[in-house]
Amino acid sequence: MAGRVKTKLDKSGEMLAYGEAAVRNNAAILEYCRTSMAALSGATAGLLGLTGFYGFGFYVFAVIGLWCLILFKAGAHWEKYFISRRALLTSGFFGGLFTYVLFWTFLYGMVHVY
Amino acid sequence: MAKAIHKLILLSGLLSLFHAAYSAAQHRSYLRITEQEFVSLPIDILTQGIVSLFITLYGVMNIAGDFKEIRATVDLENKSWETLRNIPSFYVFNHRGKALSPNYIPPSDEMD
Amino acid sequence: MAELLLDSQIRVWVFLPIVVITFLVGVVRHYVSILLASQKKVELQQVQDSQVMIRSHKLRENGKYIPKQSFLMRRHFFNNEETGYFKTQKRAAVSQNPMTDPSMMTDMLKGNVTNVLPMIMIGGWINWMFSGFVTTKVPFPLTLRFKPMLQRGIELVSLDAAWVSSASWYFLNVFGLRSIYTLVLGENNAADQTRHMQDQMSGAAMAMPPDPKAAFKAEWEALEICDHHWALTNIENDLMGLSAPTADSMYHQNKMD
Repeated sequence: MAGRVKTKLDKSGEMLAYGEAAVRNNAAILEYCRTSMAALSGATAGLLGLTGFYGFGFYVFAVIGLWCLILFKAGAHWEKYFISRRALLTSGFFGGLFTYVLFWTFLYGMVHVY
Repeated sequence: MAKAIHKLILLSGLLSLFHAAYSAAQHRSYLRITEQEFVSLPIDILTQGIVSLFITLYGVMNIAGDFKEIRATVDLENKSWETLRNIPSFYVFNHRGKALSPNYIPPSDEMD
Repeated sequence: MAELLLDSQIRVWVFLPIVVITFLVGVVRHYVSILLASQKKVELQQVQDSQVMIRSHKLRENGKYIPKQSFLMRRHFFNNEETGYFKTQKRAAVSQNPMTDPSMMTDMLKGNVTNVLPMIMIGGWINWMFSGFVTTKVPFPLTLRFKPMLQRGIELVSLDAAWVSSASWYFLNVFGLRSIYTLVLGENNAADQTRHMQDQMSGAAMAMPPDPKAAFKAEWEALEICDHHWALTNIENDLMGLSAPTADSMYHQNKMD
């Protein structure tokens, strides 16, 4: 069965059609990357011993870093894979934060507290 | 093959991250024994941590899978007309074809 | 606030085990609930009802594309006073009490066995086994408001709010490892117990199968007041290009104007 097709009018009034299965596949990959990124960057922040605002700044840094990596992977034509480039950066920002804080606390405790 | 390389990258990144964590823990215990104040980690551990983070992220991203084209036309270009006109809701099974089945019992003829 | 020096044995025998135990219990729970999961048996009657509802719904939505006679014929099939489907089919009202339905009761029992029981047992065990340790310190300053949340089991007034006790560290793990389960076990895993808790609280009413009798009555009413607006009156002219179609009417379904 062909996946359902979503349509959307873009700014220039041109009709764009998206295959829903492909969109969902890409979203799942993004979610995977984002969770991994949150856990790994939390671990790194913990081992570096960042405290307070430096730690949260590091999360922003890691989010932007992942964004650059994804755009690098997608290559020159990111429009082929994603609907919006900004949503790529901002979506799931706070969802990952909790994982980040947990791993940050974990590694910080393992390395720096004892 | 490419998958194995990315797994290797991921593994080496994780190992390097772990090594950095171990070094940091050693550094902390050294400072504690010599009773010095902790200011910040030595620059080599800092760099190792951040660099191995990005190596690991790169590995994770390649293992996660490839992006698919989201434009519907790309998906539909590979489909033939036979695939698209196949609409299960309109299947009809009650037709003359059943007479060809070896198990078919013709209805008793009541016209005679 | 003077820096606290913790025994590094606490790290090996309390801090790390709590993380490992929490994680592994989540994984085990995932597999146990897969083992216990029973396929929801679907009644033929239910499928029939839902398909009829879909058909009637489609008729209301897209009836404008078929001729008036066909529309009336289909509506007659559903709504006729003597022979209509919605009129003749009598469905018993669904029993609202889950206790009378044995299959639902086993489901509830299984849900409790896999979700609530481990949480109580492991939580109680961890509280008993690792009670009273200061395990770690969150690397950011917190206000005193967080003290009861983060320092469960330790009542020390002078302790800084950033320190975390063992019991609270367990709860932090329970909630924080959720997305890691998604990573390890794949989507829609059963280890995600917070989702189950939400289901138990808010979703109980929605999970009940809708009462077919009431649904039929509503659908009958909706179909009764549905008028037939023939959408293809000018179709010959449209097709012959007398009025050029716009991009909208070409690509969008259900947009005939």
